[in-house]
Amino acid sequence: MRLEVLAVFLGSSVRLATPLLLAGVGELVSERAGVLNMSVEGMMLTGAFAAAVGAWATGVPLAGLAIGILAVVPVALVQAVLSNTLRANQIVTGIGINILVLGATTLGYRELIGERSRTEIPGLSLWSPPGLGQIPVFGDAVFQQVWLLYAGIVIIVLTALVLRYTGIGIAIHAAGAEPRAVDKSGLSVAFIRYCCVLFTGFMSSLGGAFLSIGDIHTFTEGMTRGAGYLAIASVIFGKWKIGGTILACLLFGAATALQFQLPTLGIDIPNAFLIMLPYLLALLAVGGLTGRQTAPRALGEPFRR
Amino acid sequence: MATDGATAWSFGRIVRSQLLISVAAVLVAGLVGLGLIFSMHVSVSDAVAAFIDGTIGSPYSLAASINRSIAFGLVGIGFVFANRANLVNVGGEGQIAVGGIAATAVALYGGVQDLPFGLAFLLPLLAAVAAGAIWGAIAAVLKIKAGTNEVISTLLLSFIAVWLLYWTVQSEHLLRKPMTSSATLPESLEIPDTTKLPLLTGDYSFPLHIGLPITIVIAIVVGVVLARTLFGLQLRTVGLNPVAATRAGISYARTVLISLAVAGALGGLAGGFMLLGEQYVLKDGFSSGYGFDGLVAGLLARGSIVGVIAAALLFGFLRSGGINMEMVAAVPTALVMVIQGLIVITLAGAAFFLERQRA
Repeated sequence: MRLEVLAVFLGSSVRLATPLLLAGVGELVSERAGVLNMSVEGMMLTGAFAAAVGAWATGVPLAGLAIGILAVVPVALVQAVLSNTLRANQIVTGIGINILVLGATTLGYRELIGERSRTEIPGLSLWSPPGLGQIPVFGDAVFQQVWLLYAGIVIIVLTALVLRYTGIGIAIHAAGAEPRAVDKSGLSVAFIRYCCVLFTGFMSSLGGAFLSIGDIHTFTEGMTRGAGYLAIASVIFGKWKIGGTILACLLFGAATALQFQLPTLGIDIPNAFLIMLPYLLALLAVGGLTGRQTAPRALGEPFRR
Repeated sequence: MATDGATAWSFGRIVRSQLLISVAAVLVAGLVGLGLIFSMHVSVSDAVAAFIDGTIGSPYSLAASINRSIAFGLVGIGFVFANRANLVNVGGEGQIAVGGIAATAVALYGGVQDLPFGLAFLLPLLAAVAAGAIWGAIAAVLKIKAGTNEVISTLLLSFIAVWLLYWTVQSEHLLRKPMTSSATLPESLEIPDTTKLPLLTGDYSFPLHIGLPITIVIAIVVGVVLARTLFGLQLRTVGLNPVAATRAGISYARTVLISLAVAGALGGLAGGFMLLGEQYVLKDGFSSGYGFDGLVAGLLARGSIVGVIAAALLFGFLRSGGINMEMVAAVPTALVMVIQGLIVITLAGAAFFLERQRA
């Protein structure tokens, strides 16, 4: 009995951490290159909305996912143009984009789906890895997840390898630490940063799509509810390292899962406190539990040739 | 003399073009909004009429719009103040929330309702200011002690405060009104009449309260402090170069603490005004995004107090009009968010051309 509760807890922790993981790793790459995307929240919401509408309109979840990814491209481009070419304040642009997307998706939802909100949107299917899925008690509860999670793990591993072992990884790191040196070496800082912001958009849209067509098979207004900001916090928590970022996301996921688990165990803790817990943990984390922070030196600063 | 003339001329050109760009951004965003209304198969003239009715259509809606602008303006002024020291306070939303909690707690359970000389409403207001200041100071302490970026800490503190407020109105041990039936709403009792802010005209059909003159005084004081005092210079010095400022004997820690605490205090005051002057009852969703609107007003003002006031008025009226549009013409208020987002993005991008012109 106890083991079953634990298994469900682990499974839902991973499920709730997945959108953060995808968006967090995406944001990490941008921040490494020196761009702070406050717009992760808006990118996730765009992905969630477009994927839901796409899946609903076509009836094919995979088509929805593709539409979700495509819909984020213009949003990411706006962020990239503003924060690189126009050297705008990255916080202002990010918040502007978030407001715009929240408004636009809410409008779009009411116009397109509004009255038909009861209809279930076809969602991505579940999958469990052969072998792991057969483990007694834990197999189904932990490893049977939306396949996008496993696809995401593959992408995250690839990202980690690229960041660590390739010239691209070095160029990204250098664009965030010494943009001037990158420029002198003949590479374009702007090009690197554009690519990174687009990658963040791609990962955020996966995270958003996971929320809508992966997890709950519907869209609700403003459904990201600050997940994008948690993704940013996880990057700081993880000290701009991919392993740390992943751990932070899992921790936030577990904290969120407690909300649903503690009441079933008969432990009476105010719901509001449990909802607050991930943010509280994130604050404690960025507030020194992880030691002094080592942000990329040029983070948030537009590069001027 | 010739060079003086030239700088004066180009200065005038910059001021004019900044104004021009702002007006153009608002107009373009407004046109997009009209286009969206049109595409939603709603009568554009009905929607516009509802919008105007909600902003200046009656003394009541005019006062409500100005009261909104006051909250945005206070948060925006706080933002500009801290930003002079190169600090970015994104925590207005949470500072408003803790201000509302503190004001409610003191007004209902602080035993202040029979106090003379206006203390009945001044003490809850001061509690709101103190709560906001503490909320801002937490971010300052984290920055000084651990080097935590205040953008992320104030943002996280906002989420925490918003859920804290939810907690206080959900729990009967905190601020929730006594449950008499299962239909009792999760909200506080209404605050006593003596703790409500006095209205300027004493007439509820034009509910402008004393928050307006207080805010005007604060705007002037902050403007003067930033532009004309030693402290204003210290803030700017720390903002431009913390190392040089420390060498010059300015305490970095003290400056960071004061500027974030002041920004937080103004956010708390905004929350106090909202509760004691308009809403009278604390409920979930109290801060309703005002902190973010105020933040945007501060961001767009690019350091100018006059700019904050202009942006705060714009957003205050936009919001009021948008709410009425939703009620009367069935146009979702989300439309106003689209317009607001477009204005922010356009102005943020336009800054590039302004600076190039200046250079």
